[in-house]
Amino acid sequence: MDRKSNPKLSDGTLLSDLINLETREVKMRALSDPELFELEMERIFAKTWVFLGHETEIPNKGDFVVRDMGSDSVLMARGADGEVHVSLNVCPHRGMKISTHDVGNTMTHVCIYHGWAFKPNGDFIGAPVEKECMHGKMMTKQELGLKKARVAIYGGLVFATWNIEGPSFEDFLGDAKWYFDTLWCRTDKGMEVLGPPQRFTIRANWKTACEQSASDGFHVLTLHRWLSEVGPYRKPGSEGGGGDLTPEMYGTEVYTAHAHTMRCIELDRKIRRLTGKDPSELSIKEKLEALPPPGITPEMLPEVLRRFSDDQLRVMAWRPPQVGNFFPNGLFEFVYIPSPDGVIGVMALHAYVPKGPDKLEFVNWILAEKDTPPELKAKMLRLGVQLLGTSGMVEQDDSDTWPHQTLAAKGAVSKHITMKYQSMYENNRLEGWPGPGDVGDGFTKDDTQWRWWEYWYELMTAEN
Amino acid sequence: MLQQLLEPTPLPPSIKANRIPSGSDTYNEVLDFLYDEAEMLDNLRLGEWAELLTKDLEYNAPLRHTRSTSQFDQTYSRNVQHLHENYGSMLMRVKRITDTKSAWGEDPPSRIKRLVTNVRVYRIDDSDDLKVESYLLLTRSRFDFDYFDLIPCVRHDILRREDGALKLARREILLDQVVIGTPNLGVIL
Ligand code: FES
Ligand SMILES: [Fe+2]
Repeated sequence: MDRKSNPKLSDGTLLSDLINLETREVKMRALSDPELFELEMERIFAKTWVFLGHETEIPNKGDFVVRDMGSDSVLMARGADGEVHVSLNVCPHRGMKISTHDVGNTMTHVCIYHGWAFKPNGDFIGAPVEKECMHGKMMTKQELGLKKARVAIYGGLVFATWNIEGPSFEDFLGDAKWYFDTLWCRTDKGMEVLGPPQRFTIRANWKTACEQSASDGFHVLTLHRWLSEVGPYRKPGSEGGGGDLTPEMYGTEVYTAHAHTMRCIELDRKIRRLTGKDPSELSIKEKLEALPPPGITPEMLPEVLRRFSDDQLRVMAWRPPQVGNFFPNGLFEFVYIPSPDGVIGVMALHAYVPKGPDKLEFVNWILAEKDTPPELKAKMLRLGVQLLGTSGMVEQDDSDTWPHQTLAAKGAVSKHITMKYQSMYENNRLEGWPGPGDVGDGFTKDDTQWRWWEYWYELMTAEN
Repeated sequence: MLQQLLEPTPLPPSIKANRIPSGSDTYNEVLDFLYDEAEMLDNLRLGEWAELLTKDLEYNAPLRHTRSTSQFDQTYSRNVQHLHENYGSMLMRVKRITDTKSAWGEDPPSRIKRLVTNVRVYRIDDSDDLKVESYLLLTRSRFDFDYFDLIPCVRHDILRREDGALKLARREILLDQVVIGTPNLGVIL
C-alpha cells in the first residue's frame, strides 16, 4: 500500500498516529472524531459501492424508496425503462429535498418548493410555466437533472456509488463473490424482501457496529450468552456441552482485500444430530438434503445443485458463510436456528447508516427466496423479527455496547486507549479449503476485523 | 395467500354504537387492568404480567412510513413489523429477562413509566371480548444519560374474560416514529 496522504486533524494529530499497523491497535479517538467523520463521508461513502436495498422493494415502474448513501439522501427508483436508478434526493434548483416520503410510486417527482419536476431516472422534465422558462437559459435541461449515481444490481441487491469512473462492482467484491454467490444467487428466480426494512436509531458511531459486523465471533460468547441460557442454542448435555456457545465459534473465517469478511460456521454437529450419521460418510447432496440452506427446501435443491461448482457446494454443505459484512456498512446473516419446527433458516441484511459522528440508523431487511413456500416464509419472518433488528432478542444486546464505546471515544484519557485486534490465526488456510481470499481455520480470531480497519485506513489515506 | 400468512389477523372495527361509556363498571375494570399492567411492567414483574396473556395471543407492532395525507391509511406495514409475536415467543422474551444473567439490552434495566390515557372501550359484535383503544407514552431512562427515550403509541387491544378475570388476547401497537428513537424494543409496550 503506498500512502499518498496522511490527513492531519486540527490539533496536529495525524491519522497514522491513531492506528498501529504492527501491533494491530486503533485509538478510540478514531471511532467518533467529528473531523474524521467528515473525511469518512468523502473518502469512503462518496467513493465505494454502498448497499441501499433490494430491487424487489420497487417492483413496478415509478416505484421508489428514499435511502441514504452515507450522509446523503438518495432516491432509489424504477424508471420507465424498468431499470433501477439512484439519484441524489436534492433539488438542483435551490437544494430542497425532492421526496419527503419514504416510499411511493410516481413517474414525476415534483419538488414542492418551486415545482421543478424530475423523472424516476433523475432527468429534468421542466419547471412550471414552461413558456417563461423559469430555469433560465444558461444551462440545458440535461444539465439540470438530479445528480445520478452509478448502480449495480447483484443477486437483487442494489448498490450505488458516486465514483462514476471508479472500480467495477465485481472488482469491489473481489474474492468475496465466490462465497456471496452461494448466498444471494442460489436460485433462478432469486430472493425477495418480505416487507420494508425496520429502522431505528442508536446513539453510536457507525464504525462501532461495522467493525463488529466484520465477523466478530468473540462477542457472541459473552454479549449474546443468554442464547445458551434459555435460547434456541440451549442444549441439554450432548451437543455443545450443555449451554456452551463455544462449538459455534469453530469453522473458517474469510477476509478479502476490500474488507468483505465472513464466518463460515461448521454444520457437522447439526447434521449429525438431524441424521444420526457421521457427516463424513454423507455425500454433499445428502448433507444439503438433511440441512438445506436457509429458505431452501429439499424440493428446491436440484436447482441449487445445478447452479454451483462442486467446490462451492462443498462449502455450502459443510461450512457455509453464516454471518459477515460487506464494506463499508452492510451486514448479512444467513443463520440456521433450531426451533420446535426443526431448523429454520433466517436471512437478513442490515445497513448501519452514519447519521453524524455519534449516531447511526440501523436498517434491517428480512428476506427469503421467491420460491420458498409461503408457510416457510412466514416462519422465517417471525424468527427474524424475534431474534434480529428492532426488538430482536439477540441484537438488542448489541445496542448498549456501541453507545458506550462512542462515549468513551470522547474522554480526554480514554480517547487514547486502543482497541486491540491481536488474536491472530497461526494456521492459515485449512488443507483442502476450496474457496479464495485470506482464510483462517479453527476457533474465531480477530483477523477479519483487523482487515476491516486496514481497508478503512487504506481508503482514508488514499489521494483523491 | 402469502400476505395472509405474513400479516396478523385483522382486528375487529371500533364501532361507535358499541362504545362502552367512560365511568361504567366495565370501563373502570378495563382501566384498572391497563393501570395494573403498566405497574407490573414498570416494576419488572414480568412473570406476573405473562399470566395476563391468553394462549392464542397475537402481539404486533407494524412499521410506519411517511406518506402523503391522501395515503394516510397506507402508512402502516404489517408484513415485516417491529414486533410479531405469539404466546410462545412472548414468553421467551419474558424468560430472557427473568431466567438469564445476560440479557444485557435490559440489564441493568431501564427506568420506565408507562403513561396510559385516552382509553376507549367497545363491545365487539357476536363476541364477549372487548376492544380497547388507548394511548401509551413510554418514557425510558437508561444509565446516567440525561435524556429520555420516548415511545408514543396507540394500542388496539382485545381483552377477554377468562375464569372471571380480564386477559390480553390481542395487541396492536401503532408507533408514531418511522425510525424508532430508542436503541431497541426490548421493552414491553
Ligand atoms: S428548490 Fe426545488 S424547485 Fe426550487
Ligand atoms: Fe452481535
